[in-house]
Amino acid sequence: MTAVPADLPSGRELAAVDDLDLAVRLLAHTPTHEGRDPDLLRRWARAADSFGATLPATECRAKVEERDDGLDQGLLARYRSRPTPTVELYTDTLAAAERLVQRYRWQHWYPPGSLRVAVLAHEAVHERLHHGPERDAFRRALGHEVLRLGRLRRLGHVAGADEVAAHSHARRVAGLGRSPLLLTAALADAVNHREK
Amino acid sequence: MGVVILLIMAVGVAAMLTRKLPTAFALVAMAVAIAFVAGASVTGEESVLDTVIQEGAPALASTMIAVLLGSWLGKLLDETGVASTIVRKIVEFGGDRPTVVALGVLGVSALIGTVTGSAPAAMMAGIIGIPAMIAVGIPKVTAAGTILMGIAVGVPFELPIWQFFSTALDIPVPQVRSFMVKLFPFALLAGVAYVLIESRRRGVEHTWSLRPGSDRPVSRRKQLGDAPWYALLTPLVPLVLALGLEVAIIPSLLAGVLFGLVTTTRPREMNKRLLRTLYGGFQVAAPPIALFIAIGILLAAVQLPGAVTALEPLVKAISPQNPVAFVAVFTVLVPLCLYRGPLNVFGLGAGIAGVLIATQIYPAMAVLGLVASYNQVFGVSDPTSTQTVWSSQYAGVSPQQVMVRTLPYVWTVALGGFCVTAVTYL
Repeated sequence: MTAVPADLPSGRELAAVDDLDLAVRLLAHTPTHEGRDPDLLRRWARAADSFGATLPATECRAKVEERDDGLDQGLLARYRSRPTPTVELYTDTLAAAERLVQRYRWQHWYPPGSLRVAVLAHEAVHERLHHGPERDAFRRALGHEVLRLGRLRRLGHVAGADEVAAHSHARRVAGLGRSPLLLTAALADAVNHREK
Repeated sequence: MGVVILLIMAVGVAAMLTRKLPTAFALVAMAVAIAFVAGASVTGEESVLDTVIQEGAPALASTMIAVLLGSWLGKLLDETGVASTIVRKIVEFGGDRPTVVALGVLGVSALIGTVTGSAPAAMMAGIIGIPAMIAVGIPKVTAAGTILMGIAVGVPFELPIWQFFSTALDIPVPQVRSFMVKLFPFALLAGVAYVLIESRRRGVEHTWSLRPGSDRPVSRRKQLGDAPWYALLTPLVPLVLALGLEVAIIPSLLAGVLFGLVTTTRPREMNKRLLRTLYGGFQVAAPPIALFIAIGILLAAVQLPGAVTALEPLVKAISPQNPVAFVAVFTVLVPLCLYRGPLNVFGLGAGIAGVLIATQIYPAMAVLGLVASYNQVFGVSDPTSTQTVWSSQYAGVSPQQVMVRTLPYVWTVALGGFCVTAVTYL
């Protein structure tokens, strides 16, 4: 994608969708949530959003690698835990996102340079939820009970909730006016538009 | 004459490899050519039309019925949400430990692999299993390989496969079962090792993707919700009956269908669901049934007296008799069952097995050991087999990537199978 297509629809329609609704959509599209009660998804989205927003900011300890084939793969960033924790940053997708922000005049939500900070903060959450003590706290925050035998209570994993938490954390750390989910949705629209 | 038959086989393999002819058509063409070269008449006793085609085509009929029933049961497991419910529960219980999720999906795939094989088995386990594994951070190649390795864990107990080997090699089902039970630990160890080693080597991956997590078509299950817990036992029913109680294969599979039906379906909807899933099962079973018709025809051709006489000295000369050489040679030849190669059990490999038995070069049980071991490789790593292609593409990687990652593990399974065969039957 060399530039955002000139005949793209206005971003107003997308921007009208609430951040929490975008998070609910993300969960609804995550496997294992087919047919799930939308209210339950909303509750999980809200819990994950709050958890991510209150996580203390820490520096991303993973190695950062820049790549320029993100648009082909439909990726903005990727975290890999092996062989060494690494964040792959797709600079072509980042550049496309910056252009989209300008086109939609969303600079007040996504100031120049803030996306890179957001991406690193987002991937740092994955690293922490994978390796760190926050994993159990996150499960408690979501409160998805999958088994209860007397006093024994087993809390289950909610697929996709870590993404919502990571986006929420990224928004706070990078000082964004809206969730990165909005920009991701807009970018996905632009890429789909180009592919059609 | 034997050399001419081998040349015909080589041309047939070339036609399959280059996709000039679909496997089933190539096998039938080979069978007819071999029969003529072996001196068979057009009609009458030991003839092309009456023996090779008329008697060969339905020779594996019981296998075809077993495949159809397996596909029927598979359709039922899919439509009633049994398979997807198990996967969902696994993700909920172990989702923040990706290795646990992968081991769980491996187990589900193994269960499904005992019921049905090929792409339908991969789809049943993978449609939810693959994106669910990716969603918890398992890399794509590992996720696709986990489904295939899991199915391969179940294959030693896949009842239609028992029927196939029993009919094609003329070995009673209990004897087939006795070898498969010995093969199973190797398949299980390899499957678990694959998940543990690959999870350790590749770790987890999380992507900030521009695509939604799932844009897959929504099945009927979405409206139906989770299956009840007791319905999740459905895949075990045929297995317990056939393995534990030694009930025959077809009634065992039918019992599985009935159990799946009564535990998931309201009485007034039973007829409709039974018919719908049965017809769906026919659709799923059509490709393997076409292949089994062709294999039956090829087996009839290579077992003609003229073909046996022509091939015996040649095959005897190149077949290792010493147990160590047997293991070494057939282990080295493992790649020949990939890419529809000559040792593919669901292709020319079945014909070669027929030759080995007809010429009495190896005991039938040793031939069973060979083909069953090769089948463990073919079912996982062959980049042209439908389950490998489907799983890889669904995960968003190439079948070759999955082949490279899984081949060392299934090669080891084949080695284990050959060792058991050499020690027990040679």
